[in-house]
Amino acid sequence: MLPKAEVEETLKRIQTHKGVIGTIVVNAEGIPIRTTLDNSTTVQYAGLLHQLTMKARSTVRDIDPQNDLTFLRIRSKKHEIMVAPDKEYLLIVIQNPSE
Amino acid sequence: MVSYSKETQTPADTQTHTQAKPGCCVCVRACVAEEEEEEEEMADPKPAEDSQEEKADEEEKQEEVLPKELTEEEKMHLLNSEEFMAFFDRGSRIVERALSERVDVCFDYSGRDLEDREGEMQAGAKMSLSRVFSDERWSKNRVVTCLDWSPQYPELLVASYNSNDDAPHEPDGVALVWNMKYKKTTPEYTFHCQSAVMSAAFARFHPNLIVGGTYSGQIVLWDNRSNKRTSVQRTPLSASAHTHPVYCVNVVGTENAHNLISISTDGKMCSWNLDMLSQPQDSLELVFKQSKAVAVTSMAFPLGDVNNFVVGSEDGSLYTACRHGSKAGISDVFDGHHGPVTGLSCHSAGGPVDFSHLFISASFDWTVKLWTTKSTRPLYLFEDSCDYVYDVMWSPTHPALFACVDGSGRLDLWNLNNDTEVPSASVVVDGSPALNRVRWAHSGREIATGDSDGQVLVYDVGEKICVPKADEWTRFVHTLVEINENRDEGDELAAQRLLA
Repeated sequence: MLPKAEVEETLKRIQTHKGVIGTIVVNAEGIPIRTTLDNSTTVQYAGLLHQLTMKARSTVRDIDPQNDLTFLRIRSKKHEIMVAPDKEYLLIVIQNPSE
Repeated sequence: MVSYSKETQTPADTQTHTQAKPGCCVCVRACVAEEEEEEEEMADPKPAEDSQEEKADEEEKQEEVLPKELTEEEKMHLLNSEEFMAFFDRGSRIVERALSERVDVCFDYSGRDLEDREGEMQAGAKMSLSRVFSDERWSKNRVVTCLDWSPQYPELLVASYNSNDDAPHEPDGVALVWNMKYKKTTPEYTFHCQSAVMSAAFARFHPNLIVGGTYSGQIVLWDNRSNKRTSVQRTPLSASAHTHPVYCVNVVGTENAHNLISISTDGKMCSWNLDMLSQPQDSLELVFKQSKAVAVTSMAFPLGDVNNFVVGSEDGSLYTACRHGSKAGISDVFDGHHGPVTGLSCHSAGGPVDFSHLFISASFDWTVKLWTTKSTRPLYLFEDSCDYVYDVMWSPTHPALFACVDGSGRLDLWNLNNDTEVPSASVVVDGSPALNRVRWAHSGREIATGDSDGQVLVYDVGEKICVPKADEWTRFVHTLVEINENRDEGDELAAQRLLA
């Protein structure tokens, strides 16, 4: 388990990683609790990705109820969005892989 | 109410899940919890509860259509909780591993995907950042108020700055001469004065002199032959000169007969001899209809004209005026803008056809308007910006090209022969500072812009855009004809609507 200072350090390390555009931490209700992007973008990403993650998770579990979603990665022409889900939270990182 | 259903548990659950909208996770979790608890119970009570929950769903949906916000305390509380720590430990671990993977699994060796990206690459070829000029001591925390390229040495650029609120002991007005030729990052010359410099220009026929118009109304003259950083000559702060901020200074005329023209925001226009700044050679009050003094914020002289000029004022109106003659002063008023005029530029690209009657104006009302001195109604309205447009300038070489900058950090190049609805090239400055000034270099290949953080950015413009082909002038004639036709049609429609 990480002490609080390490959480900040890790978030900073992720944010300053090459090509990372933004980092968002979302709670179970889809409300962003930490973000490095501006408010409107954050709310948009948090809402949409939360929905998508719920759908992905339910897809996985419907196919096999014993299974569960561990990582979601969306590769688009411009970006890569990585979502690390959990029962209570989501960690979303948006990266521009060509940088 | 109990209803019986032959459906199995799984489809019913799926139904609930897909119907549950985001934000209604309370009910999703409830379903999951129930599923776990009631695994061995009948499927029957489930549908009834589902429909009740669905109703609750909708109510919650309506409540939560507005994005819920958590207070900082709640957020900190969550962030400090143990579950969050556990989640973050796992999640960040995976994310960091994924971030470090640099393999692009989608790479297409046939190059077909490059066709899609051609648009993006072309945009890069259109304008590229060449230099950024900024000085820690003299330009930081100041706004770039004016830019001018040297007519004799095309690599020299003077930038004037206003006061630095964080450094009250430093002089309020600074002008720095930057050099594009060398990689040195410090200014070539540093000049100060006691009042914020609002406009600056190289004295056209005196390569050593730089003129500055200040906030106090004083005009200062700096000489790079002197060893001082302060001005060598200053106009008096008296009623015979200016007592209001001078936003426009310009040297007009020819080598043997030239004057420094300055206009302050109280409408006073003075013309000076650069050898003697102790009193103006001539002065004129710019008043409209004998009563209203024009608060001039920008001024422009058409190419080759030393007598007639155009001014833009704080209340959004534009006027033509002339310096000499029986009708010296304001002549005509144009419909103008809905906000203060921030920039004016007269067409200056000489060529087979003369367009010197055209000028463009930029204003706080988010628009740039194209005008002709022959008519008081605008020819065209450029509405692509979503912020105050701070400056605009015609290209000195291409007849249909102009640049404008706005408060959102955008530098747009409009080529009227290509498209009049959207800019042909656009770039947003890193960090989106408000861009206060834009100036084309005399070659028409580079463009300098000054921002609100004291930085001067010089962009190289791609050849395809800035170099005019031989037929650009004739094409522009056609473009103007089209614009005129559209304007007349627009007016007719508007008139018809009024009558109807």
